[in-house]
Amino acid sequence: MDTNFSILTKIPLAIAILDQENIFIECSDQWTEQFNKKRSDLIGYNFLQVFSWDSSELATILNTKLKREALISGSEQIVKNKKKLWFDWKVQSLTHNKVKYKYLTLKDVTRAKKLDDLIEKTGKVARIGYWEVELESKTVIWSDITKEIHETAKDYKPTLEEGINFYKEGEHRDHISKLVNSAITTGEPWDTELIIVTVNGKEVWVRAKGEVERINGEPVRIFGTFQDINEKKRAELKFNETSERLALATKEAKIGIWQYNVAENELIWDDNMFTLYGIKREDFSGAIDAWEKSIHPDDKERGKKELEMAIGGEQEFDTTFRIIKPNGNIFHIKAFATVKRDNEGNPLTMLGTNWDVTDLKTTQLQLQRSEESFVGAFENSSIGMALVGLDGRWMQVNTSLCESLGYSKEELLKLSFKEITHTEDLEKGMDEMYDLIKGKKESFQLNKRYIHKKGHAIHAFLTVTRVGNIDGKTSHFIAQVADLTQMVINKEKLRDVLKLTREQNQSLLNFAHIVSHNLRSHSGNITMLSDFLRKEKASKEIVELTTMLKSASVGLAETISHLNDVVQVRTTTEEKMTPTGLEKCILGTIRNIEAQINELNPLLKINVKKEHLVNVVPAYLDSIFLNLFTNALKYCSNKRRLEIEVTSKIINNEIVVKFKDNGLGLDLGRYGNRVFGMFKTFHNHKDAKGIGLFITKNQIEAMRGKIEIESVVDVGTLFTMRFEKA
Amino acid sequence: MKKINSACIIDDDDIFIYGTRRFMEEVSFCEDIIVFKNGKEAIDGMQNYLAEGKNLPEIIFLDINMPIMNGWDFLEEFTKIPNLNKDKVQLYIVSSSVDPFDLQRAKQFELVYKYILKPILPKQLNEILEAID
Repeated sequence: MDTNFSILTKIPLAIAILDQENIFIECSDQWTEQFNKKRSDLIGYNFLQVFSWDSSELATILNTKLKREALISGSEQIVKNKKKLWFDWKVQSLTHNKVKYKYLTLKDVTRAKKLDDLIEKTGKVARIGYWEVELESKTVIWSDITKEIHETAKDYKPTLEEGINFYKEGEHRDHISKLVNSAITTGEPWDTELIIVTVNGKEVWVRAKGEVERINGEPVRIFGTFQDINEKKRAELKFNETSERLALATKEAKIGIWQYNVAENELIWDDNMFTLYGIKREDFSGAIDAWEKSIHPDDKERGKKELEMAIGGEQEFDTTFRIIKPNGNIFHIKAFATVKRDNEGNPLTMLGTNWDVTDLKTTQLQLQRSEESFVGAFENSSIGMALVGLDGRWMQVNTSLCESLGYSKEELLKLSFKEITHTEDLEKGMDEMYDLIKGKKESFQLNKRYIHKKGHAIHAFLTVTRVGNIDGKTSHFIAQVADLTQMVINKEKLRDVLKLTREQNQSLLNFAHIVSHNLRSHSGNITMLSDFLRKEKASKEIVELTTMLKSASVGLAETISHLNDVVQVRTTTEEKMTPTGLEKCILGTIRNIEAQINELNPLLKINVKKEHLVNVVPAYLDSIFLNLFTNALKYCSNKRRLEIEVTSKIINNEIVVKFKDNGLGLDLGRYGNRVFGMFKTFHNHKDAKGIGLFITKNQIEAMRGKIEIESVVDVGTLFTMRFEKA
Repeated sequence: MKKINSACIIDDDDIFIYGTRRFMEEVSFCEDIIVFKNGKEAIDGMQNYLAEGKNLPEIIFLDINMPIMNGWDFLEEFTKIPNLNKDKVQLYIVSSSVDPFDLQRAKQFELVYKYILKPILPKQLNEILEAID
């Protein structure tokens, strides 16, 4: 007999009718919907098999014979497809048309169950516990977390009084008692942070919240939460402590803090600001007023502009301005600020600091002044000055140094001092330099040479001083370069002059002795002869004496004339020097003594360049060549034909003339430096007077030239002469 | 018999030689007067005397400034002559030079007895004679 249960299908519950064998007879639409099954998949099938609930509590019940009209409900967790699902179920036995059926409702409560779980877990993590007090029965309920916070046993059941006594004795306990009483009488809920002392005696910061439930105006229950905020609270307290310390620090450091609320155009100053500006808060309508009255008129516009630019986001607010305190003193203020903006970038507030940098500024100004005076001294110094880096590069050079070295500033700054140091002086001062770098010495001095841009040596007296940076390490050097080149040149000139003078003095002394000797010889002879004459009676002797007297006086006259020549050379050379052609002079000399030359018929090789001009006194040059030629003719060897060779060439701005013959030659080992002496004769020749070479040497030296002799007896003589090139 | 056998004048100045010779005769200075015109002639002459076994002149008057070989060079060569009996020769430098250098140099030669400034007058010749006694 079929029984129609189709009426059930519209019931808004998940209901199924099972027969005694747990086969689906009918189920509601809600059922198919909830479990996402088609009716055709269910009707006629076994519930336990379709839902795989074989091992559940529900299965056990369904498989036992139910008592009549018995209602059994339960809740269980089923694991399906690795997911936890929660169900509430009810089973009731019913008899219809004498057939026994089972009436089953099933509800998926997984979502709700999960939410509860989550709440419990969250409470655990956040350490939030729950409590309540039934006022009539005085029953106190604490949740597990609440018990954990108090460190009590799990089964602990406190009384209201015990609960209150957990609060730390003193202000904490007094405070909570007051709040609870107030809540009961006025209904005002509480939310406070206090210290409790746990069972174990530990002090813990908690946030206690509570409110009172009333029925018909009568308080029946108090309940609330209880949160462990110990760590957060302690961090906060520490932060406050730090903030206080910061406030103290800013006050000690005289750092004023200000805030500018952009929209309200409102400036707020802390006490430090007013102290800094030397004014009283009550004397001004507001901080803007105070600031505007204090700032130095010359800095006001700039200050305002910088403030605007900072607000506009164009630049950071980081500036210095002057203020005038009421006593008229000017102070320098350093100001810095950051701008806080909303999400759209609009300025909200500006938070900044001010501090007094007057001392710093004054020091800075002094430093600047001292630097300026250094720069002035540096640039205008008559000696070369430079700043030199540790790598030897010129960092800065003054005009004097540039002038000494011949470089422009730009050129010099590209070079290192080594590049312009004389190669022989490169090692000089290196050890001292390392001592300066290490700070072992403050300065050192030495003489060294640089190379001028044009290549010649620059003699300098160098002083190097180290400059330390703020850590005391050497940052660079100051070099003072006193150019001694002119001094050295002058000294060398002086030495030359001295040498020349000494030579000339020597020569003059020699000259004086020679003069004395020669004059004495002749005058002595004359005296002697005239004495004889006076006494002589024999006329034949008288004639002889007279002849000798004549000869002596001629000798005296000749000597005086020679001496006069020598004096002439010494006194009148300089102004008569003119460029003179060597070849022309030599050929002229040869022409003048043509007769003597023709007598001997020597071989003349004159290899003198026409263009070789020498700077000489022409008459001296004539005399020099006349002397050399006549000497060569006079002292020729009778063993061979006389050869005379004259050559010229330019060496180092001088014209070197070589005059060579193949005559008798001189034993220089024996005569040496006497060759050029006065009245020295070396050959037994009737015309030898001993004046020629002396005058020649004097003439050449008077014209700043030189003469040297090389000679080998019976081979010949070579004179090497150097003249100034014209 | 004169005290001095022979004296020698080494000088290139004819007038000086003439004068000195006259004074020497005036004071009867010696038997023989020998003259050399320069150092070279003199040294050659001296060596000849020695070679011939003759005595050297007892007195020599030596000039400094002479051609070919001057007084100093003569002195150097003369000193080198081996077996020279220096005690028997008195050498006088006779010069017009008042150059201290010459006076100093003269002192360096052991052989030089004295430096006499020209001219030599009879008075000085007599002094030399007296000194020999």
